[in-house]
Amino acid sequence: MRFLFFPGCTAQAEQYAYELSARRVLPELGVELVDLPEANCCGYPIKAVSPMAWAYLAGRVLAIAERERLDLLVLCNGCHLSFYELKWAIKQDRGLLEKLNELLSREGLELKGEVRVLHVLEVLHDLVGVKAIQRAVKKSLDGLRLSAHYGCHLIRPSTLPRPDDPEDPRKLEELIRALGASTLDYPARLDCCGSGLAAFHGREAIKMAGWKLSSIRETGSDGLVVLCPFCMKMLDGKQAIARRLLGRDVEVPVLYYTQLLGLAMGFKPRELGLHLNLSPVEKLLSGMGVSM
Amino acid sequence: MSGGGSKSVLVIGGGIAGIQAALDLANRGLRVYLVERQPSIGGRMAQLDKTFPTMDCAICILAPKMIECDRHPNIELLTNAEVKAVEGSAGDFRVRVLIRPRYVDPDRCTGCGVCTERCPIEVPDEFNMGLGPRKAIYIPFPQAVPRLALIDDRYCVRCGLCERVCEAGAIDFSQKPEELELHAGAIVVATGFSLSDASVVGEYGYGRYENVLTALEFERLICASGPTRGELLRPSDGKKLKRIAFIQCVGSRSLRPGHKPYCSSVCCMYATKEAILVKEHDPDVDVVIFYTDLRAFGKGFQRLVEKAREEYGVKYIRAKPSEVREDPATGDLLIWYEDTFTSEVVEKRFDLVILCPALVPSETNRELAKTLGLEVDEHGFFRAADPLISPTDTHVPGIFVCGFCSGPKDISECVYQASCAAERAMEVVLGAGR
Repeated sequence: MRFLFFPGCTAQAEQYAYELSARRVLPELGVELVDLPEANCCGYPIKAVSPMAWAYLAGRVLAIAERERLDLLVLCNGCHLSFYELKWAIKQDRGLLEKLNELLSREGLELKGEVRVLHVLEVLHDLVGVKAIQRAVKKSLDGLRLSAHYGCHLIRPSTLPRPDDPEDPRKLEELIRALGASTLDYPARLDCCGSGLAAFHGREAIKMAGWKLSSIRETGSDGLVVLCPFCMKMLDGKQAIARRLLGRDVEVPVLYYTQLLGLAMGFKPRELGLHLNLSPVEKLLSGMGVSM
Repeated sequence: MSGGGSKSVLVIGGGIAGIQAALDLANRGLRVYLVERQPSIGGRMAQLDKTFPTMDCAICILAPKMIECDRHPNIELLTNAEVKAVEGSAGDFRVRVLIRPRYVDPDRCTGCGVCTERCPIEVPDEFNMGLGPRKAIYIPFPQAVPRLALIDDRYCVRCGLCERVCEAGAIDFSQKPEELELHAGAIVVATGFSLSDASVVGEYGYGRYENVLTALEFERLICASGPTRGELLRPSDGKKLKRIAFIQCVGSRSLRPGHKPYCSSVCCMYATKEAILVKEHDPDVDVVIFYTDLRAFGKGFQRLVEKAREEYGVKYIRAKPSEVREDPATGDLLIWYEDTFTSEVVEKRFDLVILCPALVPSETNRELAKTLGLEVDEHGFFRAADPLISPTDTHVPGIFVCGFCSGPKDISECVYQASCAAERAMEVVLGAGR
């Protein structure tokens, strides 16, 4: 399997552990990552301000992938939705496609909208498969009880094709169990991490992350597994403030699935960037008998 | 085999509307063929515990009418049967009816039920909405008409135990589907309704959470002849229920994909009825009805709502819950909603959540419409020639519709529409009387 690798800005600018761990584990599972040298932002952050700028940025990445004749592998939920929304938008509005192609032609690019865009969850679950992942486990996570967080943009809106069911996603749990750990349901499982609100209502956003984390703590979970750098920023990075705002303990080890997978495949925590996580992942590691 | 003539009327569907039409026609001396797809007549009303707004026992009203149909010299019941083809025109319809085998000889079976006791195969009981088991040989429900056992071919393993224990010698595995040709001067269609799939509204968790039920499932749960003999026990753990929520307009009054835009017209009132029933079982149970608009439009309806609120303490909250989530540790359900009177956003915990899904026409309507040459609307309801001034006429002379199959209505509306359709059919068969 060969993919054009699109880690997205957030992973490259501050969530290094996601890219680091993805680059460690994916090739081991037969997923070859080809770098996208001319990459730009997926456009999502500017969509509300300038829909055309968004369409151009997202369209340019898709057009490069089409030129390279490779499917895109995306780490970030936001980037994934951005590309899917654009694919949908140019089907609805042929005028938009024409306009984009006019702009892209200056670089000799052409957009058809036919390139496949896959989130790392889909690549692992649907293409690599649970069985192959089970076979790759060197150090079973047997005994760990973990919770999953999908992130809104990965499963919504339900009217667009998304990697898993909007109301009852199960793929991440299946992937966690493939490593030997068990999974815990919790009432706030589909709740937002708060990130969507972070720029405008910071305190409320962090409270949302805190509610979610405390709901996970109540289940006695050993850790929370995420798939999106924005969710990670909130759930991993804002625990101290959330604790202050809510006045209750919200401490939960949080890590990317690619980090968890790496641990089960026998990589050292530092090789997976676990020293960059801000939540108390040491607790999870010591539960596994691993030290940083 | 054939029968009937121009003084005969075919009634399709043996629910309350079909039964009423059949009795009216038969009492005027006409020959009636009452064709029902299920093995017993009775329809949805037979599954209900009580009726609104009078809180009468549903089966107590219905059963005498069912028996009257069975005993009436002018009515021939054709149960476990379907209309396959119709030819001809008003005054002279030729109808082919397929009667599926029961594998039980109706002339011998006494309805004693010994075969059912001995049958080793247990399957979900459709009459109890799958909440309890039945056997592969079974009598659909205690008041079934005809009260005859039948063998469900999908599950029977032909072990022959029923054959051995049946003292009447009624078991007959050699039965084959039978086709009947009838002549009828007019046709009355009354095929009723079913429930839409409540799992369409994914955020309410129907099908995922054991303690989320549909209202018809709950109607069976609270009914004395239901799977728990009317005890209010929670499906997941048998715990006594203390906090119950009803959610209205589930999959209806919405333009979301898979939803129905129309109002099902009976849910506000049956939820009120069911809430009162809960309170009569146990006044300490907390009952909340989440509604969109409270549509208590019929005679005595508003009074019943007031009674539920004032005398029984049922809480009505105007809110469209955004989500039902399960607390996996307890099986309790947490409902998130905004009270649109107070603008408060609240999370409330319940033992059981009851969904009131969109009511939809029978799934066989479209096929039947083709057979009869009728029109259906975009939802599958039969189209009346003019819903305002000839609500039971269709575009085909001699064929009439009544009851829920032409649009949402409650029992009393179904009954008077049935009498209306019967009257219109009589005009065709007996002549207009000029």
